[in-house]
Amino acid sequence: MSVDYLNAITENASRLGMRIQESLSEHTREMNLSRTSASYFEADDKGKNIRKQLDSSSDREKLDAMKRLIALISKGRNVSEYFAQVVKNVASQNLEIRKLVYIYVLRYAEQEPDLALLSINTFQKDLNDSNPFIRAMALRVLSGIRVPMVGNIVVLAIKKCAADFSPYVRKVAALAIPKCYQLDDSHLPSLIETINKMLNDTSPLSIGSVAVAFEAVCPTRLDLIHQRYRRLCKLLVEVDEWGKVDLLHLLLRYARTMLPKPIINSDGEEVDQDIELLLSSVEPLLQSRNPAVILAAAQIFWYTGPPSVHGKVVRPLLRLLQTSKEVERVTLSYIRVLARTDPSLFSPYFVRFFMLLDDSRQVKAEKIKLLVSLINYENHQSIFRELIEHTADPNDEVVADCIAAIGKCAELIPEATQTCLSALTEMIKSNHDVVVSNAILVLKQLVQAQLSQKSNITSSTNGSRSALKIISSLAHRIDDIRHPQARACVIWLVGQYCASDQASSGIAGMAEWAPDVLRRTAKHFSTEDVLVKLQIITLAAKLLVLNSTEQTLALLNRYVFSLARYDLNYDVRDRARMLSSLLAGLTSVSLDYDDELTAAEERGGVVLRAEQVKVILFNGKVNVTNKDRSEPSNVIIGSSAIITGKPTLNDNMIPDWLEEGVESALRDSPDDALSAPVPVLSVSSADPLNNPSNMMVSDQNVGKPSPTVPNGRKWASNLDDFFNEEDTNEDDESSEEDEDEDGDGEEDGEEADAVEDSIEGHDEEEISSEDDSENGEEEHDPAQHNVLRS
Amino acid sequence: MGLDGIIILDNNGRPIIQSGFRSSTTVYPLLHIDAVNNALEKAERPADVDPVLYIPNTTDVSSACCHVQAGDLRFLCPVSGDVDPLLAFAFLQTFIDILREYLGTVSAATLRDNFDIVYQLFEETLDVGGHPLTTYPNALRDIVIPPSLMNKLLSVTGTNFNSTINSGFGAGAAAGPFSSPIPWRKTGVRYNNNEIYFDIVEHLKAIVNKNGVTLSSNVHGKIEANAKLSGTPDCSLSFTNPQVLYDCALHPCIRLLRWNRDKVLSFVPPDGRFTLMDYTYSSQSPNSPLPTSPNVALPFVIKPNIELEDSGGSFDVTLTSRYSTHALENVVAELHLGQGAGGIRCSVSRGSGGGGFINAAESRNSGSSGGSNRASWSFDAQRMILRWEIQIVPPSSSWSLHGSFVTANRAPRPSHAIRVCFDISSHTYSALKVGQLKVTNAKENYKPYKGVRGRSSGEVEWRW
Repeated sequence: MSVDYLNAITENASRLGMRIQESLSEHTREMNLSRTSASYFEADDKGKNIRKQLDSSSDREKLDAMKRLIALISKGRNVSEYFAQVVKNVASQNLEIRKLVYIYVLRYAEQEPDLALLSINTFQKDLNDSNPFIRAMALRVLSGIRVPMVGNIVVLAIKKCAADFSPYVRKVAALAIPKCYQLDDSHLPSLIETINKMLNDTSPLSIGSVAVAFEAVCPTRLDLIHQRYRRLCKLLVEVDEWGKVDLLHLLLRYARTMLPKPIINSDGEEVDQDIELLLSSVEPLLQSRNPAVILAAAQIFWYTGPPSVHGKVVRPLLRLLQTSKEVERVTLSYIRVLARTDPSLFSPYFVRFFMLLDDSRQVKAEKIKLLVSLINYENHQSIFRELIEHTADPNDEVVADCIAAIGKCAELIPEATQTCLSALTEMIKSNHDVVVSNAILVLKQLVQAQLSQKSNITSSTNGSRSALKIISSLAHRIDDIRHPQARACVIWLVGQYCASDQASSGIAGMAEWAPDVLRRTAKHFSTEDVLVKLQIITLAAKLLVLNSTEQTLALLNRYVFSLARYDLNYDVRDRARMLSSLLAGLTSVSLDYDDELTAAEERGGVVLRAEQVKVILFNGKVNVTNKDRSEPSNVIIGSSAIITGKPTLNDNMIPDWLEEGVESALRDSPDDALSAPVPVLSVSSADPLNNPSNMMVSDQNVGKPSPTVPNGRKWASNLDDFFNEEDTNEDDESSEEDEDEDGDGEEDGEEADAVEDSIEGHDEEEISSEDDSENGEEEHDPAQHNVLRS
Repeated sequence: MGLDGIIILDNNGRPIIQSGFRSSTTVYPLLHIDAVNNALEKAERPADVDPVLYIPNTTDVSSACCHVQAGDLRFLCPVSGDVDPLLAFAFLQTFIDILREYLGTVSAATLRDNFDIVYQLFEETLDVGGHPLTTYPNALRDIVIPPSLMNKLLSVTGTNFNSTINSGFGAGAAAGPFSSPIPWRKTGVRYNNNEIYFDIVEHLKAIVNKNGVTLSSNVHGKIEANAKLSGTPDCSLSFTNPQVLYDCALHPCIRLLRWNRDKVLSFVPPDGRFTLMDYTYSSQSPNSPLPTSPNVALPFVIKPNIELEDSGGSFDVTLTSRYSTHALENVVAELHLGQGAGGIRCSVSRGSGGGGFINAAESRNSGSSGGSNRASWSFDAQRMILRWEIQIVPPSSSWSLHGSFVTANRAPRPSHAIRVCFDISSHTYSALKVGQLKVTNAKENYKPYKGVRGRSSGEVEWRW
């Protein structure tokens, strides 16, 4: 052995020596060791010599020319003009040259079909080469030449290579099938036949590619899998990483379409033995180092297994979080989808989702969402603390996410509401605007939620009292709250919820802190933000409605309204004018100095009673519960739609379970029974459409629709269902979006106004229409009243 | 449908090399390049760009662009249709590993030098239809010849020794491409000195809260191997304490059945470097697999004393090693000071403790002047990060960083955590021990040299 080896080495060395000597004498002048490929890359030669070099007899020249061409290609230059010269070299003895020629030919074959045809003979000859690499290469180029004319040749080549003894060549043959199908689908029957034969392949290297071909060419012919199903399951462990992914997808689809759904009842789970076989063969794959394999295996467990095995995917998925930043980001989204169906599986691991400094924006967002979905009574304190700590994050969006999440947690865990409220009130003191404004927005939602509970249950609960307490504490701290949105929001809260029947030391009819807020904000009215000004006048109006007899309040009102009347911003002026006419009938003190001169009867228009005004001002809006924009429930892990948030047209879909599955006897393979291989071939390779006896067999076996054609139909009907579902989902989504927009408006602290505006605008229209008539007939009034009363 | 190809961008966002994209229009790769560049431009920091970008397309199929940063390059893998992005990332990672194996370092310069190799790798690793082809480095080396000085020399002199072999002449005649029955190992490997090395590398990731309590700590380990063995050796590696290994991810060469049954790694190794397995260190029993309780003692304590005031702040941070036998090396503590920070004044000093202790690490560095000279600080004004570096922290020594900074904004917004990275040589957290390594070879009888060593590193976030 070693002697042979030594001999070989010496032989080679002497050959090498000779070659080197030859070349040295040939090219001494050009010898330049420092020269690397980079010179090809950088040199901007116009390729005058390339043609000559390609025609030269020296391999070195040719190689040089080819490298130059490839360099030009990568610069984005179109070098198809050399096609004729290059094609001549496809038969070169030098493998290096040949590989580069292949790369070139593949790239330009489509543009130069005629010249590409010239080279076909060489490729056909190469299909018989002793080197499997050359054979595979030739087939790849042949199938890559997208010239419909060669279709027949390619089909023949594929057939030949499909029976090659090298699994690598068979793999390439399988991958060539979809290309051939794409080029000309009239070859379908013979291609399916080839696939059918290749499904018997026992080599783990090629079977994955056969699955690819199957999915691309005849995805509905799952009947071809029946007898191979068990063998494929057993083969799974051996298959190479990428092949595993493809094969798992095929098996998942097969299982969902053909196997009986696991039955879960009180006595436990009833799982078909074929599903058990699948699960037990897939389980070792969860130890793969390849993230794509783990995910494909997790899909099998999640979508075909009974709930008791779902837990097996948890730790492998968590392990993926360590692989790389990118994988972490994708996996987190998948875990979130899984956690939505079964949070208890992941909640023991919630610390894994704590945020790190160098986590990207998306990772943090996903982690926050996950933490919220995993929250339960046991872990809520830790999760709370984590969220609160990250309100100090340097990124504003993260801060907003965290604070919103805190609010959501308070809703989910009622016991935590108090902690949450105190944390939020603490945040209002922060000197970061983002924190303050977000905290107030969330506070407002919580307060509203609590108060709406009160109205539902009628008896005043602890919650509503504490909510009022929050408002009062906010009211007391109004001077510390500087962020305009937050300020506007607080003022709105104060106005909305200050009504009180309890006797207090202050003005009757309202909580004692409310008028003080008006007093304090009125002082700085002119320097406030527009948002805040609008809310101040609204507050003034609300207070006046609650108590129109108190003199100080009326004066304060008058002060605010006169400031607003001359404000620079027309929104503020508009609002003030509208509100003052709305309130015209309420108070003896006119809100407009100018109006003092005008007699009340000259104003014209409708004068509303206090109760009516109150309805308009206070009940303008319904409590908006901000709903999560829930994602469509039919997304499955492994779909890029989860990551991008955009539905893809050809969504990965999991077929619906067939309630009972098809007869398991169909999967009994003659191989298992050790019968002669001949019947296998005759049954499996026969075209079921032209072979009624085969149909009969399957019909008898199934006792229900034969699996071949009806399966195709089943699949198609699924498609329809799927798209229908998607449609409805889209509808849902859009309606949710609408709601969301409402919610957004609300977050601006203006929502009340928006709704009020719509009502008041309506009034205004009517009023103005009466103004048009100037001396408006009095008869209109009762009608108006009726309208408003109803 | 599938992985449409690979585009490699340099650090200016210009494409250097891209694979064929034969099944799509010419604008298709350009759309993806633009999308990535736009996203990078918009992002506050490059890490904030979503690694999966949705690309709205004019054609019927929408696509996404998965991208990864490696060195000064960015690798793009456009996928069309509904393809799991994990497939794209797994493939990109494999491809980058292959490039690393071929070119040593992966950088714009080395790619330019070897563009023809990269093109051949594109062809061999990814099929036009979007499915990975050959990714085992051993199998690839047979069909795409790695560049070496020898190879360069030969290509200049116009001879190609390797391709001659591949065409079926010479010593490798029997060892043509794809002739090996084991896809990850080539045949006919021969070494004069047979050796196999294992590195047990463990990485600790921990979060510590304000009160110094460890919130989460995880140790992930991997066993890296470098096999230089002749023929087709069959190795079996057993551990004295395999119960510390959890959540294992195994190289395809490992026989799963043996591992699951006896916890013995039995395998025919690929030639050269490879990662044998990944694992998580956990000391819990498998019956209660809750890794929530911290099980690794952190190697140091930090006492952060950071005070924020209007337009600035001051800090006084002390780091004390908790280890009594091992030194921490290359300790880097980072503090993000927030937008508009500057005017940093700092001093680093070495506190008491561990002074008289002479250990391996210290004696190794006895040449350099001792004391605080080995600690330094710097400020990265672009990322707003204050870096505090200590080359070696001897056992139970303590170090401190003291200083102040000012900010342009009234309210400073530093991140509320200090991130500390460190290395420890000849140490593993799990104390995983190799019990025995048997190498059997049916044909040849040799006794290989076997080596095992441990190494660990860590990353701790200490919140304040």
